[in-house]
Amino acid sequence: MTTDLHDGNSGCAEYNELSRRQFIGRAAGGSMAAAAAAAAYYPAWLPRIMLAETHASARDVILSVFMRGGADGLSLCVPFGDPAYYTARSTIAIPRPDAAAGTAAKGIALDNFFAFPQAMAGLVPAFAAKDLLVVHATGQFNNSRSHFDAQRYMEVGKPNDVSLVTGWLGRHLASMPPVRSNAPLRALGIASGLQKTLVGAPRTLPIANPATFALTGTASTSAARLAFLQADYGTATEPIHAAAIDAASTVTLLQSVGISTYKPSNGAVYPTSSFGTALKSVAALIKADIGIEAAQVDIGGWDTHSAQDPLAGSMYKTMQDFSNSLAAFYLDVIALAPTTGVTAVAVSEFGRNARENGSNGTDHGRGTVMFAMGKNIAGGRVMVNNWPGLATANLESGQDLKVTIDYRDILAEIVQQRMGNPALDVVFPGWAYTARGATR
Amino acid sequence: MSTAIAPPECPAAQADAPPREPHSRRALFRMAAAAAAVAGIIPGRARAQGIRKPPATKPVHGYPVLPNETPVAPVEWATDTSRLLRRITYGITDADVAAARKYGFRGFMERQLDHTHIDDSAVDAFVAAKYPLLSQTTTDLFSATESTVTAQLQQATLYRAAFSNRQLYERMVEFWSDHFNISISKVSYLKIVDDRDVIRRNALTTFRQLLYASAKSGAMMAYLDQNQSRSGAPNQNYAREIMELHTLGVDGGYTQADVAELSRVFTGWTIAGRGDFSFNPAIHDWGAKTVLGVRIPAGSVSLGAAGLKEGELMLDTLLAHPSTASFISTKMLRWFLTYDPTPQQVSAVAAIYTSTGGNIKSMIRAVLDSAWLVSAPMKLKRPFHLVASSMRTTTPTLTNVTALNNQLFTTGQSLFVWDTPDGYPDKVEYWAGNILPRWNFGAFYAALAAGETIVDVAPFMVGNTADLTVSVIDKRLFGGEIAPALRTSLAAYLKAGTYNAARVRETLALAIGSNSFQWY
Repeated sequence: MTTDLHDGNSGCAEYNELSRRQFIGRAAGGSMAAAAAAAAYYPAWLPRIMLAETHASARDVILSVFMRGGADGLSLCVPFGDPAYYTARSTIAIPRPDAAAGTAAKGIALDNFFAFPQAMAGLVPAFAAKDLLVVHATGQFNNSRSHFDAQRYMEVGKPNDVSLVTGWLGRHLASMPPVRSNAPLRALGIASGLQKTLVGAPRTLPIANPATFALTGTASTSAARLAFLQADYGTATEPIHAAAIDAASTVTLLQSVGISTYKPSNGAVYPTSSFGTALKSVAALIKADIGIEAAQVDIGGWDTHSAQDPLAGSMYKTMQDFSNSLAAFYLDVIALAPTTGVTAVAVSEFGRNARENGSNGTDHGRGTVMFAMGKNIAGGRVMVNNWPGLATANLESGQDLKVTIDYRDILAEIVQQRMGNPALDVVFPGWAYTARGATR
Repeated sequence: MSTAIAPPECPAAQADAPPREPHSRRALFRMAAAAAAVAGIIPGRARAQGIRKPPATKPVHGYPVLPNETPVAPVEWATDTSRLLRRITYGITDADVAAARKYGFRGFMERQLDHTHIDDSAVDAFVAAKYPLLSQTTTDLFSATESTVTAQLQQATLYRAAFSNRQLYERMVEFWSDHFNISISKVSYLKIVDDRDVIRRNALTTFRQLLYASAKSGAMMAYLDQNQSRSGAPNQNYAREIMELHTLGVDGGYTQADVAELSRVFTGWTIAGRGDFSFNPAIHDWGAKTVLGVRIPAGSVSLGAAGLKEGELMLDTLLAHPSTASFISTKMLRWFLTYDPTPQQVSAVAAIYTSTGGNIKSMIRAVLDSAWLVSAPMKLKRPFHLVASSMRTTTPTLTNVTALNNQLFTTGQSLFVWDTPDGYPDKVEYWAGNILPRWNFGAFYAALAAGETIVDVAPFMVGNTADLTVSVIDKRLFGGEIAPALRTSLAAYLKAGTYNAARVRETLALAIGSNSFQWY
């Protein structure tokens, strides 16, 4: 089964269908060895009825990334074609791709207007393969510059509504039947407490580190203790009973996946950062084909009020971690299949001021970039809705890149087209979305 | 070097203005609740006897939802006094059982209600020594870092819940902290002032005193953006929440027009200095307003501080509203008695609210009715309650609660960081997802043998036999009312290994993680 678990094609519809049929074959008429392999593949506690199930395999698995702190879109995707960028950023600008030979840290042109900084070089192959879409001058029309408010509203998917407590991805999952009805874990947040994006999702757990999701304490007694607790909660009332069984099952499940020994395919090398480690775990879970439908992963370090240095310093390192981790995920999970069943998105609560401040950094602003990546993403371009421009007269409140595309337009299209959910009124209540052509 | 190139255009869309969001807040609220109710439910089999199943919830987009089952209290919780002890403490101790035996159901409750006459000097001294920020003014607190503010308030609150002799009072502090929720992430040190001068000062007084104190809290002004509201540009956040969450309830009979008008009334209610409440006549809207049918005539800025009276008139209007009586009574019944109070229970307590002018002690007496308690289903301990219970029933030796407070993060309920104004949910389905952290908390806690917190295993090993150890666990953690099945299974676990301190600690961990210990 090792081969199957680590097959770079997993995640795609064909692969899911194939692995299901293979498994049914084994379970129905296979040898003892195959049955034993199957038992390792599907934990013993899973009811066998699941084997007869038809997967809704056309639905993409989604990796949702939140860049917490307000990521500077003007450094992540540099508008070198706008001269006002260089006026506003006297010490922290990324040099033009066509700057004089010998210039350090020149941008990498994506088209004739935008460039990646060197720190984002890892994502150039995905962009070149037209699998990575960059959306610019995007964000929320809600103009809060508070991390607290802006993150909350972005995650719940509706601005200025303090009564809405569930997240957009949580409501998506709650409004769709599971891809695998007996999957104990439909989604996970790589976190100690569930991120708001996922709140409301059924069979969804916050798991800080899937490789160590286990009963703590003495290892030699953990099986006996887990058995004790499973038996003890056998008489619990719902929903505690189900949640306890899910938790115990997930412990067993994640042990069977063997995340700590997972070998990425296609030459992918994940950074050893917490973000890279998280994406590697998510890749292992997706490829184990256990019914995971969504994962939420956060990356911090974007609140660059001082010494931002996107050329070689603080923000360079953050961007490099971001891009190299996602590049590994791309190679490992997305790149090989002709049509893959995995889509990744990355958002941030707001951008930063066009003009740098007195500390070689930037303060909280408005418009920024977001990313979407997958075989069904109409990538290889920087999408804008008429570049608003960085000349002072064109800035919001005289200081910020305007928001011209609501981030929900992109997410809603993915939810509808790639995650098969027609109920956009549930996922993004009150938002009449404009199709932007983010998906193929 | 080329010159600037014409900016590209999005091929799929023309430039467009941001569309407006339609306002249908209540519908969304209901929808969100429905979505939340879906969490983590799979078909179960018929299990313990006496479980009542309410009718199945409507499916959301074809995904079937199973209802919550009613967790009927075990037969071992035999008396009204035993039920009372569970509801008004963070965990029953030997001393509680002895006191209840001595004073009886009514006597024990009255002693707890008369909290200022309960000696709590040891706890007060610990808190004063370890958490000095809690007694400081806004001027002093201004220079404190948010992390220090957060740590001191969280740790002090956990320590008091676990060890204060004023258990009912602490339970009410938690209740009002949720009712008048303020996230420390938005208001920083002002939370300390609100906790002390609004919540703790008034937790067992009258709802009128509480609402007035909250409405004049700098922290609440900042949290609900009231300090950004001014004549001509009113911010509706506080005006909405005071009706929806603090007094009338979402279906309490107010309209969007009432919200808009009330927001005009509250213009000028703001903060000054380092975050103290103040009324600023210069930004108050002096025009005529009508809220909930009450007409406020136009005034003028020359009336100065008299403009404050307009808002106070509205506080009085809200306090006297029958929806407020029902809403506060319902929440109090949910807190102490049952998730699903009957209309009869609500009207009985609401009548007390009305006849006593919102006297909180009188309402508690009505809620904690002996017959109601005996027939009430169990409630799930939230993570804070679980951690406090474990500490309270095992009397650890400790010099601080830093690590235990961190366990609240792991188990999902770090205090005072709930960002929305509705407070931490008091619903089983919200907390159901985090079971493994509860089990691991038990393992973490029972293993504390050195450092700032030490759980002494010796009292659990008196007699040196498995059965005697389980008897001590029963007496200390379960008030002597452990279910026979759990007694048997804990003893069996203990007997399956070598009897030693490590095995006893593991057994204690399993008792803390057991289903029975999650309920009260």
